[in-house]
Amino acid sequence: MFAGIDIGSITAKCVILNESLITSCAVIPTDSNPKLAGITVFEKALDTIGYSRKNIRRIVGTGYGRISLDFFDQTMTELSCQAKGVRYLDPAIEGIIDIGGQDSKAIKLNRDGTILDFTMNDRCAAGTGRFLDVMARALKIDPETFGKYYQASKKPCFINSTCVVFAESEVISLLASGETRVDIAAGLNESIARRVGLLANRIGLDRNIAFVGGVAKNIGLRIALEKFLGTKFVSISQDPQITAALGASLIAREGYRM
Amino acid sequence: MNLKVDQKIDEIKTDFAQQLEMARDQGKKVVGCLCSYFPSEIALAAGAITVGLCGTTEGPIEAAEKVLPVDQCPMVKATYGRAINNTCPIFPLTDCIVGETTCDGRKKMYELLGREKPMHIMDLPQKPDEPEAQVHWLAEVKKLKAFLENQLGVVITDTALKEAIRQGNRIRELLKQIHECRKHQPPPIMGLDLVSLSTKMGYNVSRLTYIDQLELVLAELRQRIQNNYYACEPGRPRILWTGLGNSLGCDKVLRMVEECGGVVVCQEGCGGVTRLNDPIDTQKDPLEAIAERYLRVTCSCMTPNNTRLNDIDLLIDEYNIDGVIDLTWQFCHGFNIESYRVKEIVNKKHGLPFLHIVTDYSQSDIGQIRVRVEGFIEQIMAGKDNVYNRSAKSLQNI
Ligand code: SF4
Ligand code: SF4
Repeated sequence: MFAGIDIGSITAKCVILNESLITSCAVIPTDSNPKLAGITVFEKALDTIGYSRKNIRRIVGTGYGRISLDFFDQTMTELSCQAKGVRYLDPAIEGIIDIGGQDSKAIKLNRDGTILDFTMNDRCAAGTGRFLDVMARALKIDPETFGKYYQASKKPCFINSTCVVFAESEVISLLASGETRVDIAAGLNESIARRVGLLANRIGLDRNIAFVGGVAKNIGLRIALEKFLGTKFVSISQDPQITAALGASLIAREGYRM
Repeated sequence: MNLKVDQKIDEIKTDFAQQLEMARDQGKKVVGCLCSYFPSEIALAAGAITVGLCGTTEGPIEAAEKVLPVDQCPMVKATYGRAINNTCPIFPLTDCIVGETTCDGRKKMYELLGREKPMHIMDLPQKPDEPEAQVHWLAEVKKLKAFLENQLGVVITDTALKEAIRQGNRIRELLKQIHECRKHQPPPIMGLDLVSLSTKMGYNVSRLTYIDQLELVLAELRQRIQNNYYACEPGRPRILWTGLGNSLGCDKVLRMVEECGGVVVCQEGCGGVTRLNDPIDTQKDPLEAIAERYLRVTCSCMTPNNTRLNDIDLLIDEYNIDGVIDLTWQFCHGFNIESYRVKEIVNKKHGLPFLHIVTDYSQSDIGQIRVRVEGFIEQIMAGKDNVYNRSAKSLQNI
């Protein structure tokens, strides 16, 4: 058995793989303790199938927390792991958009599945999961409802600011001027979609793109991004949140064979 | 010879300040300079010591931000901060400073820097390929000569200029040969070690000792190659560094690249190989020859700056490069925009991975940059693996 553990800024994910199948996976909040989260998510995934650590032959770690743990046999960046994981699910995929808690990435793949080019958002939180969280707080709504609001809105507000701090005050003044939560939330979705869409444009992603990362579950953002990019995302058969962990587990398995 | 420099940049500066003070006690004058367009031969012919005053550390930035807008290139801020925050041991020891009208940030900051010391600004034409540019720049070089003569109370003779040119050319030649040792696979010195060494040696009170030191370094590197003593294992991704960020103090990304398994084998840009292969013509009138040569320096403040792009194109092949990293300081519009053309050459013409990093001197983005750098190294390694696999497969087919 092989494990891939992806410790992100908001959630930690673990995928366990045998020679042919995904046998278990788990997702837990990181709660600003990447070390503990890494261990816990691993144990949770093991418990589900009644195995223990000694059944695992190789473990690959990825995500921001990859440096916090010492029981990994190898670490790889989320970039390589996403590429591996997504390509495993669908070999036709040519590009990846990954929006995580603290950054967003666009990755272009070679025909053989290796990375051809990638870009990431600049140092600020614009276009990341954190941006949505802060905005949800400003709007006093649940981050999960962003998607619903996007579909419900007839006239999304135009939000200019890409900086979290400025966007927050923009949201507050929009609320004060009587705009509805629905239209503001929808506008925020569009603002992120523009931001991330431009990242994808910069490296020339135009079709066969997979949308992954925790934020990919936001249906509104998905639709807004598809609109911006002018293409439908490829649907993948797994939770988009675990693709990096899946890739890590695949790398663990390959590494063992080598 | 031990080529490792264990000193931090501040220690190097303190050491150097002591030497400067001794030289000043013996009547030497000190000219502060700020850029690769500075024709240092003129100051040397005036019998002065030249010292670089660019800010490469985060420390002085806070002081600078009391005056300069925060949204400025860190190099502009650090250079100004270094002059006004009373912690740089070298700045007070200069008799005068010379700057050039390169980018807007520098140019406008110099107006304020000029309050701290006697300062002369050379007006740098920005379309250097035009014949008029040459005429203008020659006039500027002559004005610099007059300024220094006046400021330092000396007469700069042709004989002194010719000697300064001879030394300057020798230094460029030695540096060029030192850099070329890194064409060897694997290289005899890591990128970071060479950056540290060059920074340290760059602070010198005597050109002749500097030349001696360079000769020793070159001999040592050649010896290493002969003895098969290398800085790293073969197969490490060979990186061409371009843009900024390759001097001690602001080397955080370069350091990270080598920690993550790459090796920087060539730096294009100020402080790297740029125009080292371009000596001053010794047959011509010295001032004219100096002016011609310095106008050929490549920087994104020039347009269209094609020479830089051509240089990168050639260096990729000469140094057997696996990937190119282009580092831009935040708010540096020139290099930031020009990066698009660098990427075109790297990706389209050479089919190699390219990474553009925009950052400043702080450590706050280390985590994010690390993902990029590691990902980039993984991207190169995966490509290399495939090359090996492919050739292994084709062997099986035979
Ligand atoms: S990058 Fe340009 S402005 Fe900066 S030191 Fe070099 S030549 Fe001068
Ligand atoms: S890095 Fe760019 S903005 Fe900064 S001093 Fe150099 S040329 Fe000017």
